[in-house]
Amino acid sequence: MEQIVNLLINGLATGMLIFLLAAGLTLIFGLMDVLNFAHGGFFAWGAYSGIWFYGVTGQYVLAILFAMFVGLVLGALTEKLIIKPVYGNHIQQILITLGFMLVLSELLKVIWGPNQLPAHAPEWLSGSWLIGDIIIIKYRVFIIVVGLIAFFTIHFILKKTRIGLIVRAGVMNKEMVEAMGIHIQKIFMLVFMVGASLAALSGLLLAPYSGVIYAEMGMDFAILAFIVVVIGGMGSFTGSLLAAILVGLSGSFMAYYVSELSIAVNMLLMILVLIFRPQGLFYGKG
Amino acid sequence: MGMLNNRMNLFVIIVGLLLFLLPFIYESRTLLILLTQIFIFAIFAMSYDLLLGYTGIVSFGHAMFFGIGAYSTGIILHRMESTIFTVLLSLLVGILLSLVISILVGFLTLRLKSHFFAMLTLAFASLFLVVAEKWRTLTYGNDGFTFPLPEFLRDRTYFYLVSLTFMIAIYFLLKRFTESPFGKVLVAIRENERRVESLGFHPLYYKVIASVVAGTTASISGSLYVLSLRFVNTSVFTMEMTLDALLMTIIGGVGTLIGPIIGSGLIEFAHHLLTDLASISPIFERWIIFFGILYILTVIFFPLGIVGTIRNRISGKGKKEKYAKKTVAG
Repeated sequence: MEQIVNLLINGLATGMLIFLLAAGLTLIFGLMDVLNFAHGGFFAWGAYSGIWFYGVTGQYVLAILFAMFVGLVLGALTEKLIIKPVYGNHIQQILITLGFMLVLSELLKVIWGPNQLPAHAPEWLSGSWLIGDIIIIKYRVFIIVVGLIAFFTIHFILKKTRIGLIVRAGVMNKEMVEAMGIHIQKIFMLVFMVGASLAALSGLLLAPYSGVIYAEMGMDFAILAFIVVVIGGMGSFTGSLLAAILVGLSGSFMAYYVSELSIAVNMLLMILVLIFRPQGLFYGKG
Repeated sequence: MGMLNNRMNLFVIIVGLLLFLLPFIYESRTLLILLTQIFIFAIFAMSYDLLLGYTGIVSFGHAMFFGIGAYSTGIILHRMESTIFTVLLSLLVGILLSLVISILVGFLTLRLKSHFFAMLTLAFASLFLVVAEKWRTLTYGNDGFTFPLPEFLRDRTYFYLVSLTFMIAIYFLLKRFTESPFGKVLVAIRENERRVESLGFHPLYYKVIASVVAGTTASISGSLYVLSLRFVNTSVFTMEMTLDALLMTIIGGVGTLIGPIIGSGLIEFAHHLLTDLASISPIFERWIIFFGILYILTVIFFPLGIVGTIRNRISGKGKKEKYAKKTVAG
């Protein structure tokens, strides 16, 4: 029982982290057909800059905000300098975003050195609760809560505001939105920035969870996010949450019971989805 | 084109001959090792060019085949006697494994759109990396293992000549392949896949064959790579390997075959020089960042790469510019 609850919480926490990364990826893709291979770079930059800021100021909440701000800035720069010049060319886009990923992670090594760095949760988030016989680690619950807050905030924006309406309409049919006189390029820039910021948030949240940060963490996690985007359906926001939880849970249970197979199972799931249901499992759910 | 082609062949043959004579004229162990490395990576990059430059396929998992060749050679020479026979056997095993896997992966993934294909190949390669890390009884995990070489390959000069021969042979074979009617169909697929289909060709079949040729060639380069190191570890399956091929091909010039060779020379030489500069400023330790930036600029401003841009200047045709912009633009 205790084991199952813990695995459940682990899986949900990992799922939330993947969701934060995948949410931006899926919206960017849905809106502009851009598959951003540099997305993992924002994730790693969020982790490094946030942990650095936390080390300097000692304020974890401020560090979270700082990492998200770094994500926003990086997102804006990337969109302007990297994505825009090759807009509309799929192969160039794929090539250039991967190249940028390389530059982003090498830059991290230039600034913070090539070795792994330690990362710790703040005092008030360390330790655990004891409920009955079950030990629940605080930080993991914290990740789940932050993930849910992010999900509901964005969900609210997408469903209840004018800008959300435009984004949803753009995912469905961007030519039509443009024909209505809306400058979709600006909306795209905004979505790109928010997506990058969420990725940075995810990276910072992961740092104390895994205990160390390293420059390649971006790519490692981005692969999971790609899997989630495919399973959830490209462009589907809710789908990416459901798929992320699925991948997180299957990862945590598999890692416990048959650890060799954990990544293979998620990959297999993605391959099956791509072959039999390329629009994704949760396609059409918003 | 014909004139240019003949001159090109002549050029390659002359440079090749000079390179063959080099170890007998100028004796430098470091240079020999560096050039050997360049030849091996040139083979890898040329195999990548076949996909990216000629067929218009972006694979992010090409390291998978490099690694298959590397581990086939490593494991066979580690477990069996090290003779010329086992070396050839290990090359053959790598080629056969790559053949089977590229057919399987190809049929699974090549019908997908470019985004999904790139993503899926990335995922497949990472799966191979995980297997190599976990299957410790066979691969010794991350640490890797060393293995003995047969007597005749231990000589650096001899190994240099072997690698050079491989590179030149593969260059001419791939050139022949890309200029064949089959190769023309590949280029047509890159230019406009739907039109090729409506002409009655079956693009998937052509793309799978292209990825088989690319995969088996990459496997040969992987085998040679570990032979040159006498050591193999999981790094052969990493994203960095694919990135190397990508940088060499794009910077050198896509769809030219000679471009990847030049790209390989450029990057390996720069690696060598810039690592020496690391004592001056630590930024040189991260030399690859310069190539990352160069690569991005190339994709935006010179999608033809070095060779393509120069060739364009010489032939002075505006027509080719458009054609090559499509190469990378799809």
